[in-house]
Amino acid sequence: MFDATLNDFGSRRADSVAAPVNEDWLAVVLGLAIFVLALAALANVDLIGWVVTTSVWSNLGQALKATSKDFSSLGGIGALFATYAALLIVLSASAVALKTSVTKFALAFTAVFWIAYASWVIGNFAHFAAVTSAEQQKFGISWSLKLTNEGGYIFALIAGLIIANFFPRFAEAVKEAVRPELYIKVAIVILGGVFAVTAAGKLGLASSLILRGVAAIVEAYLIYWAVVYFVARKWFGFNREWAAPLASGISICGVSAAIAVGGAIRARPVIPVLVSSLVVIFAVVEVLILPFIAQAFLAHEPLVAGAWMGLAVKTDGAAVAAGGITESLILAKNAAEGVNYQPGWILGTAATIKVFIDVFIGIWAFVLGYIWTNHINVTRDQDKAKFKEIWERFPKFIIGFLITFAVGLYLALGTSADIAKKVPAAIGEANTFRVIFFILTFFSIGVLSNFKTLWQEGFGKLAAVYLLSLFGFVVWVGLLISWLFFGGITPPLAS
Amino acid sequence: MTQVDIREEVNRAAVEPLLPIEKKLIGWSLTVGVVLLVGLAILNHFIPATF
Repeated sequence: MFDATLNDFGSRRADSVAAPVNEDWLAVVLGLAIFVLALAALANVDLIGWVVTTSVWSNLGQALKATSKDFSSLGGIGALFATYAALLIVLSASAVALKTSVTKFALAFTAVFWIAYASWVIGNFAHFAAVTSAEQQKFGISWSLKLTNEGGYIFALIAGLIIANFFPRFAEAVKEAVRPELYIKVAIVILGGVFAVTAAGKLGLASSLILRGVAAIVEAYLIYWAVVYFVARKWFGFNREWAAPLASGISICGVSAAIAVGGAIRARPVIPVLVSSLVVIFAVVEVLILPFIAQAFLAHEPLVAGAWMGLAVKTDGAAVAAGGITESLILAKNAAEGVNYQPGWILGTAATIKVFIDVFIGIWAFVLGYIWTNHINVTRDQDKAKFKEIWERFPKFIIGFLITFAVGLYLALGTSADIAKKVPAAIGEANTFRVIFFILTFFSIGVLSNFKTLWQEGFGKLAAVYLLSLFGFVVWVGLLISWLFFGGITPPLAS
Repeated sequence: MTQVDIREEVNRAAVEPLLPIEKKLIGWSLTVGVVLLVGLAILNHFIPATF
């Protein structure tokens, strides 16, 4: 997890966890609020059906519409403005909780929302998004890049990258609203409910996937971490203060793990901050490459592809987002061959694995903190690692994910048929918000990725460790593990 | 935050040989990880995914 306002981090103790906890709880509140509002549809009260949704288009006038037919009178532009206004009000109020200037946030968010959503709309242009011959015929076009509608995420990412690398002053001006970790956490809370509806129809498969996710934890913490720590210490000569956050960032979960472990071993705050910069940049490279590799080589092993994204991409935002793009690409490729898989399983696999890995960050940070404060840099009793740090470092947004998953599953399986049949449509409206938060995440990740950082003096050695460890070990061992545990398992077919 | 001289930060870090506790951490972590993975893989083989 990554606080966009890194400037706040410099003078704080590395073991302070105040900011990430606030953002986590905020994500829980926002995500649950959207989920609860969506569930009003079960009582035939549509509270969020006005949220804008975008379809693949050749005629721009037909690109946008309200999610629910009940609000069709709004028109596409009306739905778009309603969505912007609602998010502006809610997120600006959240700015108060984050102790940020509401005016600055509101102005920044206005720019972020409109640029990000415009990129998404462009990405849905038929020449970019249409996949099958039937779709191309429908839109009257003879060629398409076949990126699927979720290719719009890539357009949002590229828009952010352009701003970060060519308009740095504008990037600085909008930084208050560039919060990829907040946006993806809200999205993941909503995703819990969405995945519950998907899993409800195939509980046996869902349970199998969760059990297999345990292998991901073993790999990330015990195998990845040990190898990367050894490489950083022995081959590149980094000292312990650098190597531990670096190994955590590369092997576990990028930003949050680097910061948690940096705090646990009482490293200077500047170190996890620098590691975090690298994490984001390499995650962007992975998002731009891995989903397309997965489509080319793993189209017939869709859950291997999903698991691979969860194991190989090293921030929550990028991993879950990569899972979404991979799902879209692989479903499209299979659909072109006449095989229509049910959507949600590939994305759900990637998200579940990432969430599993996140759960144990606090525990691993405590283990390392215990070793450091008791055996390496022995400290006074009051400075030693304490059990309560496990809870302090636990990513709270996962609680939101578990709540929406449990409630969604109960509603889908434990209520009357009348209510159960309304659940998919109700949660579908919340899912539209999930898509919008994904768009904001992609754009924000791009804005934070200034590649000139890599050319900064001294960054070369850090980048070299990252490059060797990630693309020489983590990505391929992750693929092997995904294959071992998810090979041969396919999503159910769409009904 | 003032511009951090990363090269200075990286270079001023003294070279530290691996301590015995670090070697134990790496060794145990890898060993337990591989053993657990092999065990899970065997379990996975005998308990295939249900649909």
